[in-house]
Amino acid sequence: MTKQVPLEQRLRRLEEISQALESDDVELEDALALFAEGVENVRGAREILATAELRIERLIEDARGEPVLEPLTGAQS
Amino acid sequence: LSRDLFGPIEPRRGRAVRSPLVPGQGGWRQQEAPDESLSVSAVNGLAKQIIEGSIPPLRVHGEVTGWKRYGSGHCYFCLRDADAQLRAVMFRADAARLPTDPEEGMQVRTLGTVTLYEKRGEYQFVVRELEGIGVGGLWRLAFERLRLRLEAEGLLAAERKLPIPEHPAVVGVVTSPVGAVLQDILNVVSRRAPWTRVVLSPAKVQGEGAAEDIARALDRLVEAGVADVIIIGRGGGSAEDLWAFNEECVARAIARCPVPVISAVGHETDYTIADLVADLRAPTPSAAAEHAVPDRHAIAARLNATTARVTNALRRKVTQPLAEVATREGRLAARVQALHRARARELHHLSATLDALSPLSALRRGYAVPLADGGRVLRRRADFEPSDGFTLRVADGLIDCAVTGTRAADDGENR
Repeated sequence: MTKQVPLEQRLRRLEEISQALESDDVELEDALALFAEGVENVRGAREILATAELRIERLIEDARGEPVLEPLTGAQS
Repeated sequence: LSRDLFGPIEPRRGRAVRSPLVPGQGGWRQQEAPDESLSVSAVNGLAKQIIEGSIPPLRVHGEVTGWKRYGSGHCYFCLRDADAQLRAVMFRADAARLPTDPEEGMQVRTLGTVTLYEKRGEYQFVVRELEGIGVGGLWRLAFERLRLRLEAEGLLAAERKLPIPEHPAVVGVVTSPVGAVLQDILNVVSRRAPWTRVVLSPAKVQGEGAAEDIARALDRLVEAGVADVIIIGRGGGSAEDLWAFNEECVARAIARCPVPVISAVGHETDYTIADLVADLRAPTPSAAAEHAVPDRHAIAARLNATTARVTNALRRKVTQPLAEVATREGRLAARVQALHRARARELHHLSATLDALSPLSALRRGYAVPLADGGRVLRRRADFEPSDGFTLRVADGLIDCAVTGTRAADDGENR
């Protein structure tokens, strides 16, 4: 799923795209590609924003003392 | 005095001693000294029994002098006032609970019991609890001592503070798995940025071993390498409850943490060493969570702004070449038109020339052309037969003519 791209990365890319489009040295064809990528990133970011469920995990140590993550349930309001 | 009384004495703590030697029980001074002689141990044992058995736990205040903490963990010192001095000891288990050692001359309040050390025949005050008198007491002193040490190492410097990321994917939390702190943080994160992952690294936040547990929980979170930002904290409590966050091992764990740390310890007015070392100090756990994650509404607004920005930029990119095309087109049209006009002028000129060359214009100027029947042009005298008629073409029509005679012209053009 396209959703795997983290929000931070999408927002950062959007900033780059905005700046590139606003600069003078981008050809029209590249500009169109950048615009399409921008639209895709806005869509992906909005999809992340629409997430309703918080994921909570607990960090514990396994038998060998290695850190392990386990889902933490019941703590969420 | 019976032998039984002094017989093998097993000093037993807390046992009330019933003895005729206890002062106040009457009249022993008047008695004669007994014949029997006692060993030194027996005397000390007896004194110990009397002292320890008859003096209840006491609160004693005074000035600390000669404090010395031995490798064993036991601390020896004296309590004194203007006129007297009391030997005191604080054994390891109790001394370990002190936030720091008292300073020479510090006024303290203690709780302890008077005991007798038989080997030396000296009595001493065994201190179980000790606190400094004055603002903050020993806690304050310990805080200041550690703060100065960390400051000297540069661990509190502003340049060491890591920036808090704007959009963390994973927020680590070091706190108690039970209690309001975690819940407060979860509430805020789920309201502002529910796409965030929250990873709890549970720790005991007060009591014996809490500081080490907090430091370990933080290290473990770093080791797992998942968090983009870490909140470390606990709810409000007494100075002693919060103490773990004033301990050196916690301060050092925060200082070596490569991930930005936000501290939220106790209430707004509580400042701990952890707060000073952390990259950001938040007054409450909820405030820490607000610093850690962005607000979804703010991001939505930003996305709208970005969309507008990108669209406008693209529009400019597209319209600019179009305008250029239009300009070029205009220029081209103007050139074509100019060319056209030049051609037209040329044409006009040519047609004038042609007109001038046309026989009709000669006719208009007054010349006439004689034509035979059938349209043949009569060019010479010989072409005219006296009996024949001919037609004269003039500008506006034909004239029927008859030949009445011919003769040579004077201009020599013809013979």
